[in-house]
Amino acid sequence: MDKFLFNPIRLKIMSSLINKSQCDFNYLKKVTESTQGNLSVQLKKLKEEKYIEIEKTFSNNYPKTSCSITENGRIQFEEFFKNLIKMKNS
Amino acid sequence: MMNTAEKQIETINNVINSTKENLKPLSINFIFWGIYVNILSGFHYAFPSLVQSSKYSAAIYWIILSIIGMLFMAYYNVKVRKTVGYETHLSRVIKIIWGVFGVSWIYIITLSFYLKNYHPVPPILFLLSLLTIMTGLIIKFKPVTLGGIFLTLFTFYLNFNPEINLLLVNIVGVSLGMLVPGLSLFYSKSSNNPDG
Repeated sequence: MDKFLFNPIRLKIMSSLINKSQCDFNYLKKVTESTQGNLSVQLKKLKEEKYIEIEKTFSNNYPKTSCSITENGRIQFEEFFKNLIKMKNS
Repeated sequence: MMNTAEKQIETINNVINSTKENLKPLSINFIFWGIYVNILSGFHYAFPSLVQSSKYSAAIYWIILSIIGMLFMAYYNVKVRKTVGYETHLSRVIKIIWGVFGVSWIYIITLSFYLKNYHPVPPILFLLSLLTIMTGLIIKFKPVTLGGIFLTLFTFYLNFNPEINLLLVNIVGVSLGMLVPGLSLFYSKSSNNPDG
């Protein structure tokens, strides 16, 4: 089982991205109820594992970070969820 | 371990369920275009000498005002997207579909400049009807689908009755094909969730 997604913040990020094509940093901050620094660290880890893609742009001279799930991330998340169901039912 | 699994499943469910598929902005798009095209058509119908004062004035009237409408709605949609903070797969699909309509509209209008006896209204209405049906089916909202079907039948009828005033056709077609379904979507309880 993928231990990587046992981290609650990473799990919330992935759960949030699974049914959306894109999420903004501030939205993820609200959903995960985490600090800016912690969220940035977890996003970086997810990106390194190729679970998500991060896009940085500028909007009205302010940096804007948007995230989306990758195909690999989708497969890993679905596998993780299936395993959770198996564990629950066993 | 089972307790942990249950907690994790609960977390996933809570996050996924917190996403609201808000269809209100889509209904605003339908209502805006329904009213806007009606105003443009009504004005053209009421003051034909003013709109058709020169060879290309009617074309310029329709093109410039339509582009202003497109820019206004694009600005509105971008603002909504920024406020919400995310884009669902559904809203992305709808955005692509209507983006394609915008490009096709430019194509048809350009073609009408070069081809003699080619009126852009019937093909635009036909395209509009197909995309309205697609949108209705995607969001699972029957009034929008029915509005699109009505527009398709209306366009079909139009081809056999070319003498009909196309401005009145615009008013009837867009009112029943976009404005009424848009209002229906706006006031429906399910506008926050297509399955609701």
